Amino acid sequence: MIAIIARSLWARKRRLVATLLAVALGVAFLAGTLLLSDTLRANFDRLFTQADGGTNVVLRGATEIGSGNSARTGVDASLLPRVRTVPGVADAQPYLEGYGQLLGRDGKPIGGNGPPTQAANWVGDPALNPYRLVAGHAPRAGDEVVINRGAARTGHLALGMTTTLLTPQPLRVHIVGISTFGTADGFGPGTFTGMTLDAARAHLAGPVRPKGPGAPAELTEILVKASPGVPDQELAARLRPALPAGVQAITGAQLATEDLDDINSGFLGFLSTGLTAFAAVALLVAAFSIYNTFSILAAQRGRESALLRALGGTRRQLAVAGLTETLVVGVVGSVAGWAGGIGIAALLKGVFDSFGFALPAGGLVLRASSAVLAVAVGVAATVLAGVLPALRASRVPPLAALRELAAEPARISRVRSVLGFLLTGGGVTAVIAGTAGGGQGPAIAGAVGTLAGFVVLGPVAVRPAAALLGAPIAALRGVDGRLARDNALRNPRRTAATASALMVGVAVATLFTVIGASLKASATQGVGRALAADLVVYQPGYAGGAGKAGFSPQLAAGLGRLPSVGVAAGVSRGSVLLNGQAQTIAAVDPDRIGSVLNLGVTAGSLGAVDSGSFAVSAAAAADQHWRVGSRVPVVYPDGTRARLRVAAVFDHPDVTGDYLFAAAGWAPHAGQPLDAMVLIKLKPGAALGPARAAVTAATATAGQPRVQDRAQYQASAASYVTTVLGLVYVMLALAIVIALMGVANTLSLSIHERTRELGLLRALGQTRTQARGMIRWESVIIAVFGTLGGVILGTFLGWAVVRSSSGASLAVFAAPPLQLILFLVLGAVTGVLAGIRPARRAARLNMISAITAA
Amino acid sequence: MAVRAEHAVKVYGTADTAVTALDDVSIAFPAGRFTAIMGPSGSGKSTLLHCLAGLDTLTAGKAFVGEVELGALSDRQLTLLRRDRIGFVFQAFNLVPTLSARDNITLPMTLAGTAPDPDWLATVIERTGLTDRLGHRPAELSGGQQQRVAVARALATRPQIVFADEPTGNLDSRSGNEVLELLRAARDDFGQTIVMVTHDPVAAGFADGVVVMADGRVTEGGTR
Repeated sequence: MIAIIARSLWARKRRLVATLLAVALGVAFLAGTLLLSDTLRANFDRLFTQADGGTNVVLRGATEIGSGNSARTGVDASLLPRVRTVPGVADAQPYLEGYGQLLGRDGKPIGGNGPPTQAANWVGDPALNPYRLVAGHAPRAGDEVVINRGAARTGHLALGMTTTLLTPQPLRVHIVGISTFGTADGFGPGTFTGMTLDAARAHLAGPVRPKGPGAPAELTEILVKASPGVPDQELAARLRPALPAGVQAITGAQLATEDLDDINSGFLGFLSTGLTAFAAVALLVAAFSIYNTFSILAAQRGRESALLRALGGTRRQLAVAGLTETLVVGVVGSVAGWAGGIGIAALLKGVFDSFGFALPAGGLVLRASSAVLAVAVGVAATVLAGVLPALRASRVPPLAALRELAAEPARISRVRSVLGFLLTGGGVTAVIAGTAGGGQGPAIAGAVGTLAGFVVLGPVAVRPAAALLGAPIAALRGVDGRLARDNALRNPRRTAATASALMVGVAVATLFTVIGASLKASATQGVGRALAADLVVYQPGYAGGAGKAGFSPQLAAGLGRLPSVGVAAGVSRGSVLLNGQAQTIAAVDPDRIGSVLNLGVTAGSLGAVDSGSFAVSAAAAADQHWRVGSRVPVVYPDGTRARLRVAAVFDHPDVTGDYLFAAAGWAPHAGQPLDAMVLIKLKPGAALGPARAAVTAATATAGQPRVQDRAQYQASAASYVTTVLGLVYVMLALAIVIALMGVANTLSLSIHERTRELGLLRALGQTRTQARGMIRWESVIIAVFGTLGGVILGTFLGWAVVRSSSGASLAVFAAPPLQLILFLVLGAVTGVLAGIRPARRAARLNMISAITAA
Repeated sequence: MAVRAEHAVKVYGTADTAVTALDDVSIAFPAGRFTAIMGPSGSGKSTLLHCLAGLDTLTAGKAFVGEVELGALSDRQLTLLRRDRIGFVFQAFNLVPTLSARDNITLPMTLAGTAPDPDWLATVIERTGLTDRLGHRPAELSGGQQQRVAVARALATRPQIVFADEPTGNLDSRSGNEVLELLRAARDDFGQTIVMVTHDPVAAGFADGVVVMADGRVTEGGTR
């Protein structure tokens, strides 16, 4: 039997090529995803181990505010002398780290789209500093800095040059040293500026608070080096009794692990979940194609199978033969796909880089577990997709060998119609119930049900849909169009299965498009109603809008003095623990904010917000059951605890976020003062153009930030959506390519099956052009049918997502008609492309063998 | 003469595997006559028909439909010639399964984008006795009915010549006779030129004359 299977596979190798390719592409994407995740994880592991691992023990604040190591309470420098006396401590150095944006030679910020832009005091002891000086010397004067080699390269800076460091106050600095991170150019693509401790204290720390005479500023950490022979754990244990409350000692290795866990659960987790989801879509689409190919092959082999049965083959043997075949295809395709995944991983990294999400570089990390997983998933998907066709083929009655048999049953069972309608109806009902407040469970179940219903209903829908889609083609293209439509209708199950692959891909693309458009519409509407300012000044960050980069509060003050400016209000951002939960807050001047923002205060008053109170959005207040007058426990970034009163509740959190603090109350606890944006209301009668020019000129030294009017800011507030959508489309392109190959493959196979009919048509006077047209239009009908299904399904699911979301970011549902029409047009183009090869084959058919074939 | 072949040679394959299907055949089929070509399997009778009908090309020699030399035509010109001037009845698989009987009959006109002559179409259809089966698809017709639809299609364009390749090969004798009678009537009533390949002497009996072939040559009958 094995020999028969092998021979049968070999004889059909050309028809299996497309199937193999579908498996390989699906697996390649998954393998590439896993590979990229492994590689990034290994790179981050290396980076953090290098950054923290060398330090024996780190002393740091015990209270974590928000996530990431910077959002922590600090350590007091007065601790240093005491730490140095603890036995086993060879050295202890202060470490003060903060935001420091370097400007390149062109005056523009270096890096900044995500990776950290840090400044800190330069620690002289190489055991406590992951950076190595490769040129120049350590900073000695207040304006001397060491920058990392990567930053120097990107910013076209060199030893001896003078540039600006935004801390965020613009600071003229002299580059006296170039450093490397270990042997690398930097901490990934991040930038690092090292300065003297005094300069760091002056520029990176918060305002100095009087804590008695000569109170030193707070440090980020104290770095401790162990004496020879003292293990890290032991040293940490010895240090603990010497520490005041609120300060903890952990080993460098622990810190590296913590950082890695942070990035794994945050950025990396998000990245690999997203990528895996797209890999799953690609595999699902591939599975449809595989199922389809095996179904057609099984049908075409009906007589051969029947002959084997007549000669004494059991059903079992036939089923085993069919499954073995899928297994072989699965294994070969998956292994090839894994190899292709190496290329995909490199490609994915390139895609992310080109979209501005810089990922740390480093050699690819090949892990056996990932390889096994990718191949196993690929084989499983192939075999699963092939089980049904194999079983069906094994049920061929032996007598079928003796008669001419139709390739596949063409009629649609009533069970299918009923089941399909029930699934779709039930799914849609569940989704609507879910969005109307029934909860996420039924909504998700409903979405899955709707998808399954669409797939099951496909063959039922083929007849009306193809008749509808075929009508203009038949009218326009005459007989080729009519024959094409009839061909698409002749085997609704096959047509639907072919179209399903495309449908799934298009549905996901549509879903993202609708969500993206809704995000944009919501942001535009939200910003539109909340923003009263005429101009917004900000440094574009990670998400397109204002990021963590920012300005000194002096900038807002300076802008306020411009003749055309009425009010200039800075908005700074930060993290606090509110009622025990980390929240991002905005700190503003309550007296000014009302002129630049229309917050829609529903209770209390903004003017009442002071250092003992804050304002909260209506949505957040409802979630937490707060009213005006409620008292909420808060922990500031410096560890100070307080109970704050809710002074106002407002409706429009779109520009600021859900929590508003008074700048005066916030600044003393916040460390480095940093305005994320400056909102400007012009004086009545001031012309926008000249005012904008004045503001642009006044902010040039602050890293040439964006100066935008209302409409521009509205547009860029949602511009990250475009970037993310671009990424999503690139990810989905592969699934669409797989679907396209599926359509082409199905058509090729059915042309093989229709050899005699095509030959007859040619004999009766169908020209080659007509023959090509007929196949091409059939392909177009199938493709548009699938695309249409996908657009409908995706729009519905998108609507469900938007409706079930309670956040302000998805307040408005928007389905962009132009884009959806574009999808349909692209679907038709896909059809034309998929039809090229099959159409050529049909036109080249040898008529004689076609009409005399027995 | 409706169609003729001059020193027609057809060789399949090359070198060692070459098979000569037509070995210098010269023959003409007069207009208005119903001629049968007989011969054993492999005698070259089907090849001759294919080459005369423009479905296949000769290795050497010439084939004419009317005064048109087929070897000089492009694929497109050949296709149009088949569509406009030749009718076909094959042994099996004569009809497009997705089209109704009526659509199958008018298929050559549809492919040409021309409207059928309604009177003529009605006449032809009436002769086939299938007036009430026109809306059915081929799968819903018997073998004999399918072949009669094929004959109606062959006649519908008023071709210069109808080629029939074993039209009764898959039929029982009664259905076969109905098809042959239909062809005979086309010759008698409309003066249709017909060339039919068959190995059945009973079928050949319906023809005006018989050409016998063996080993790629005409051994008996035929003009010239």
